[in-house]
Amino acid sequence: MPRSRRFLIGGVIIIAALSYMIYGGMQEAMVYFVTPSELKAKESTSADKFLRLGGMVVKGSLQKDLQNLTYRFNLTDGTATFPIFFKGVPPDLFAEGKGAVVEGRIGSDGVFQATTIMAKHAEEYSPHKDGGPPAKSFVPAKEASIK
Amino acid sequence: MTANLGHSSILLAWLIALLGIVTPIIAARTGEGRYLSIARYAIGGQFVLVTLAALALIYGLVTTDFSIKYVAFNTTRATPIYYRVTGLWGALEGSLLLWEWVLIIFAGITAWIYRDRHHEMMPWVIMIFSIVSAFFLGVVGFLSNPFETMLPVPLDGRGLNPLLEDANMMTHPPLLYTGFVGLTVPFAFAMAALIVGKLDEAWILTTRRWTIIAWFFLTAGNLVGAWWSYHVLGWGGYWAWDPVENAAFMPWLPATAFLHSIQVQERRRMLKVWNLSLIIVAFSLTIFGTFLTRSGILSSIHAFSSGPVGGFFLGFLTFILLGSFGLLAYRADLLKEQPELDSMVSRESAFLLNNIVLVSALFTIFLGTIFPLLSEAVAGVQVSVGAPYFNSVTVPLFLFLVFLMAIGPIIAWRRASWDNLQRSFLWPAAASLLLGLSLFMWKVRDFLPLLGFTLLAFVVFTIVYDTALALRARKRIAGEGIIRGLITLTRRNQRRYGGLVVHLGVVLIIMGIAGSMSYSVEKEATLALKQELQVGNYRVQFDGLKGTQQPTHFRVEGAFRVFHHGNDEGIMNPALKFFPTQQSPIGRAVHQSSLSEDIYLILSGFSELDRNQATLKVLVRPLVIWMWIGGFVITLGTLICILPMRMAQLSET
Repeated sequence: MPRSRRFLIGGVIIIAALSYMIYGGMQEAMVYFVTPSELKAKESTSADKFLRLGGMVVKGSLQKDLQNLTYRFNLTDGTATFPIFFKGVPPDLFAEGKGAVVEGRIGSDGVFQATTIMAKHAEEYSPHKDGGPPAKSFVPAKEASIK
Repeated sequence: MTANLGHSSILLAWLIALLGIVTPIIAARTGEGRYLSIARYAIGGQFVLVTLAALALIYGLVTTDFSIKYVAFNTTRATPIYYRVTGLWGALEGSLLLWEWVLIIFAGITAWIYRDRHHEMMPWVIMIFSIVSAFFLGVVGFLSNPFETMLPVPLDGRGLNPLLEDANMMTHPPLLYTGFVGLTVPFAFAMAALIVGKLDEAWILTTRRWTIIAWFFLTAGNLVGAWWSYHVLGWGGYWAWDPVENAAFMPWLPATAFLHSIQVQERRRMLKVWNLSLIIVAFSLTIFGTFLTRSGILSSIHAFSSGPVGGFFLGFLTFILLGSFGLLAYRADLLKEQPELDSMVSRESAFLLNNIVLVSALFTIFLGTIFPLLSEAVAGVQVSVGAPYFNSVTVPLFLFLVFLMAIGPIIAWRRASWDNLQRSFLWPAAASLLLGLSLFMWKVRDFLPLLGFTLLAFVVFTIVYDTALALRARKRIAGEGIIRGLITLTRRNQRRYGGLVVHLGVVLIIMGIAGSMSYSVEKEATLALKQELQVGNYRVQFDGLKGTQQPTHFRVEGAFRVFHHGNDEGIMNPALKFFPTQQSPIGRAVHQSSLSEDIYLILSGFSELDRNQATLKVLVRPLVIWMWIGGFVITLGTLICILPMRMAQLSET
């Protein structure tokens, strides 16, 4: 076999393997971001899908049980609200009336079962002079910092 | 006053940088030496002025001159003096100034060291430095001015983000910037070589040491960043594949590839185009990283268009890519390769595979980082690509890289015979398989960690075995003992043995990553007084809460007695800090390390009334400490590579 053909075949194999890995990885790890209204609109088709849901924690909706570490609250985008259930420890910045993004899927009872809560980047942390405070700067609590 | 001094220095330096771009061209055209001298003075002038500007900003920060907006936003009267100084890189404007400062220091050193050498290339090297410098000075001078003043002058400043008030943050950005900027040196020489058309190995040999230094600072910067994340951010991890981290990590991959592939060019005159492309990509990624982290594009694609800095960076990036790859295409006829691979079983082929793997890793990480941006910009769909993507794609690649790390430094150049292979690898392979088997018998039953640890052992065994063979030869030839023999070997071939030590450091780091990725345990619970929680080999007992007023904040601290395998390891105090300037408390996680595992405590809540309840998250992470030890080993290896030692001139590879 001529050398150039061997390199070509090698290259094709490498690229194919890489594409397969990228595709598989993306399938596994790509998460769509939705708002409560978008989720309400396509609630039936979104069952079982792992999603990120972003909005504001409705004031007065937060019920926490510190013994069992469970949190129930509603997220709103102004037009629609969605009930959330979370078990675990929320980030420091998580509070009523503040922005939050939750990750998880809709449960059989119609409540969004969150596995992670990410609090909204507090505005005073935003280092961006240009453009002012970013519109949708949601980051996980662990990243809520300027680096 | 300070502000005026600083800003005018920047503007003047910018003008001088423009002079530094033009005069080398005239010097090269006319062949008149005095234009080159002007260009050298231009670098010197920029150096003085930028240093003046940086000192002015530091002076403003230290004296809390709140008429400067940047000072008001990044210090308070209560800020201790060292954090006032580090405020220089606490936010966008200052960190760009720091970048420019480091850049011009590198330019100055380069111009000074090579003042009597490389007469053909130096004008162009100075020109490339001046172009990059003019760009940063332009950004600092016109778009993102750290000396912007503020009226009325506030009584007190807002202060640095409390998370940045940490000793690591004093070192992490300067280390990283030194690494980024260090890559400018090989890049400038590569471009100069292309312009002049002197495409032999001269530019590579000249910048070899610079590349090693830049690589070291990139590595150190990323490691210290990981350590800061682990130590301060308080989520129990050190790496989240967050775009900011990826931006700092991406240049490391082509830089590492470059460090290996230039050895193939030195030795075998191959891969010329490839090496030039790698250094272009590595340098461009440093600019891209700054664009990514500093333009606001990450928080929202729309934030990008509203600020001028992002567009400016993108424009400069396009200019660099078009210019440098254009030059490469223009010189294509000079870059024809002669020798070809003799065999797939050879050192050059191992290095080639190493490069393919590193570039593949770069490509996948790049894709994962910018995919959400592309998706939002093109389709208007917001998605996020999480850590599972990066892990599932890069883990197999990095494992293969570990395997190559065992093969590459040992296997023969050109063509390795079956005999060679047996002699170098049979015993190490047998020993590592045995180790893998015992790990399996013990308790490591999952495929990836088992494969990982076996491969890591393979690397260590090949290095030890190869060195042992060399030592035996020294004993036979010169009757030298182990220590004496090691010294002779290292002196004869610093880069080889330094490189092997660096590899051992990398092995330790990957061991730490593999252990903590695969076998971490975490638990969270609300504990009453004296209640206990068992996590892995640790038992944690809640001993009470305490609140104290600190100079800058109110601190609530929990006391937890920790037992490891039943042994009392003392009290740990995770805390929550309440800053008056911040809306929410900042957690202060604590951890205790041992050689086998770390325990990490995060206080996340408490009962305000009777102080007899605390909500706690406990993580147990095996082997993490080896990552930091690996960092020190890499430092040692780098020093062995670059320090001038006697007999170094005898070195060959």
